[in-house]
Amino acid sequence: MNRFRWLALPVAAAALAAVPWVTSDTIVQYGINALLVATLAQSWNIIGGFSGYPSFGNSVFYGLGTYGTAIAMAQLHWSFGSGLVFGAVLGVACALLFGIPILRLRGPYFAIATLGLAAVMSAIIATVEIAGKNIGLILPLFRGDTLFYELSLILLVAATATVAWIARSRFGVGLVAIREDEDAAQVMGINTTMYKVAALTVAAFFSALAGGIHAYWITFIDPASAFDPSLNVRMVIMTLFGGPGTVLGPVLGAFVLSAVSEVLASQATGVASLFYGIVIVAAVVFMPKGLLDVVQGFRESRWRYFTDNIRRYRL
Amino acid sequence: MTAPLFEVRGLTKRFRGLTAVSDVTFRVAPREIVGLIGPNGAGKTTIISLISGTLVPTAGEIVFEGRHIERLPAYRRARLGIGRTFQVMKPFPGLSVLENVTVGALFGTGGGERNRKRADEKAREWLRFTGLERRMDQRADALGGPDRKRLEFAKALAMNPKLLLLDEVMAGLNHVEVDEVVELIKKMRDKGVTILVIEHVMKAIRRLADRLLVLHHGQQIAEGRTDEVLRDPRVVDAYLGKRRQ
Amino acid sequence: MQLFGQILVNGILLGGLYGLMGLGMGLVWGVLKIVNLAHGALIMLGGYALYFLYTKAGVDPFLGLPLAMLAMFVLGYLLQILLLNLIVRSAQLNTLLLTFGLDVVFVYLAQLLFTADFRTINPPYAGKNISLFGVTVPYAQLGAFGVAVLLAALLYLVLDRTRTGRAIRATAQNLVAARLYGVNPKRIYAITFGTGAALAGAAGGLYGIVSQITPYIGVTLTAKSFVIAILGGLDKPLGVIGGGLVLGIAEAMAALYLDPTYTDIISFGLLVLVLVARPAQLLGRA
Repeated sequence: MNRFRWLALPVAAAALAAVPWVTSDTIVQYGINALLVATLAQSWNIIGGFSGYPSFGNSVFYGLGTYGTAIAMAQLHWSFGSGLVFGAVLGVACALLFGIPILRLRGPYFAIATLGLAAVMSAIIATVEIAGKNIGLILPLFRGDTLFYELSLILLVAATATVAWIARSRFGVGLVAIREDEDAAQVMGINTTMYKVAALTVAAFFSALAGGIHAYWITFIDPASAFDPSLNVRMVIMTLFGGPGTVLGPVLGAFVLSAVSEVLASQATGVASLFYGIVIVAAVVFMPKGLLDVVQGFRESRWRYFTDNIRRYRL
Repeated sequence: MTAPLFEVRGLTKRFRGLTAVSDVTFRVAPREIVGLIGPNGAGKTTIISLISGTLVPTAGEIVFEGRHIERLPAYRRARLGIGRTFQVMKPFPGLSVLENVTVGALFGTGGGERNRKRADEKAREWLRFTGLERRMDQRADALGGPDRKRLEFAKALAMNPKLLLLDEVMAGLNHVEVDEVVELIKKMRDKGVTILVIEHVMKAIRRLADRLLVLHHGQQIAEGRTDEVLRDPRVVDAYLGKRRQ
Repeated sequence: MQLFGQILVNGILLGGLYGLMGLGMGLVWGVLKIVNLAHGALIMLGGYALYFLYTKAGVDPFLGLPLAMLAMFVLGYLLQILLLNLIVRSAQLNTLLLTFGLDVVFVYLAQLLFTADFRTINPPYAGKNISLFGVTVPYAQLGAFGVAVLLAALLYLVLDRTRTGRAIRATAQNLVAARLYGVNPKRIYAITFGTGAALAGAAGGLYGIVSQITPYIGVTLTAKSFVIAILGGLDKPLGVIGGGLVLGIAEAMAALYLDPTYTDIISFGLLVLVLVARPAQLLGRA
């Protein structure tokens, strides 16, 4: 059974790769969005799921990647590849620069500091000349959604492979120890600051690349869309829903929630956010450990799994 | 007298307005077992926290293997070979017993094991040593009291420490369990570990400690060989109460 | 110089209102250890409550304020009893996420029910002002400031002098011990959250008088309330008002000497700075 499980993943990836040739344009476009947001969720998983530092501002890295690529291509006339690199550099630099002071904060302080960071960066970019200020930038046009789709898929696979490596590595054990008890982790020899900054930097790297791909794809960016605050909600809730600290949980959560929200969006506008809001509330109350844990827990205790969670955590 | 493994000079810790530890000086030789006793609130856990790096001293020096460590962060001290247990036990709750100990093996003295598999094997050995083998795959927060203590031990031991700081590991144990732990500690000393033990259980201290350090209100009121210190009238007064005839 | 004085007064008046916003958030956080990311939404809802009391029922805003506060108290009480109490003992991340989810729901519902139109509460005396030492002080702003300070003082007195207030403070410090003294934690938690919501509602109502309400005002106000609460030491009412004044004056000065577009940068920059520069104090409280 185990042997087949390892086959399932490459098969799934291949199937996903074949999508643009067998489905309509709308599905490909939906696919690109879903793949990119899944990458964001997977990135968040590294700092939020594994390390236990719930960032509410990872959109800042996505936004920097977006703007880095846009500035490189629209203002400096570099190639797409160079633009992506530039965007990634910006994201990583931000993580290194702000990571060290902000990661000293615990729990909710950290969360809101990241919120503040994202808001500040967005406001700052809106005043920068070369970034087009409030008006935004227009990138060169490239027709061909298939390329963006495959790139997004490759990015997601890379991010997931990285998380899979982390989960089995000494680095990953360190991150999890930090999450479970940071004081004990320090006393056992883990350089918690360095580990946390590394985790945030890896997350920033993938998030920035996602932003870069997105920028070239939609051709037009401005501060509001690049630093879209709703991204933060989505990447957090998708990871939480799917299973924080697991390898496939965020991907699963992202795909499921994207699909449902897409279906709802076609029924009524704005309902998507209501849906997300309700899902968050219900998920936190009934399944705080995510979908993968529900699957396992359900096998053991059926419907009592949900009430058990309440019983364990209620006042 | 062999060179001390570590020594502490003039160690002082003040919190706002409260002096927890005042001008404590002592040294510990390699493979010694030194007991740290005194009434509750005397500052014993504070001293352990100062040595392990959880707290930073207000004044004083800590020298480990000839090296000043009082400004080093906790993780660097762990890599130098200082391991500790916590009085209020701190397992990694969501992880299994085995994973808990593996952390120690991966990150301990000298930076620990780099290879995850080998760390895993070493962790299993330590679980056997401390008698936790059967509980290997259970969640750490599902363990009962005595097993939690064993886990604290195993985690610290997996780090391969040169100096082990034990904080009231016997509390709440019955006679049989106390004897088991005493034997465990002796075995560790035989393996070459130096140990500093905080304890209230006098029977255990008498059997284990070569020397004793007595604290009262953050100050050191006696230091020396175990049997001498336990007869010292100041110690009896402050801590032991009237001798049973 | 006169302009400076005017701006300073504007900043102080705004600061009082900001302090009131921080009050509710700080109380809930200090006592329940819940960081309420829906705080801004509660402010927004309180604003709408007062708006409709005024436009539909013709109640004078300053008189209608207690009614709006009562409505918000009930809402907060129910939220705590029905939802938040269920997850209080799990990881703090979960309370963050739950309140985040509530925020999303509230904003959507407000958008649906009230539309995105700008609303202002415009009682007849709104446009009038008095002149003090050459500085123009609008009645509405002055009234808002007065109410804010009054509520802060009331909160301080309640926490300090009444039985319920003492129960709240006891619960904040040590839940287990408080239980042993006969405190019913579920009720106290609900009362505390309800009070936080009522204070948020009051701030929202006043905000509607001196500025405009849309469903989206809550987003930035949550973050600002956070800064103010931290500056003021969470559940110390007088300190929090002080924190509000600091932010209010800082924003007013920034609007004067820098581009108005920089006000957001100032607020959030201050937020990040405060968090990063005072970790020792915060870690002590956490």
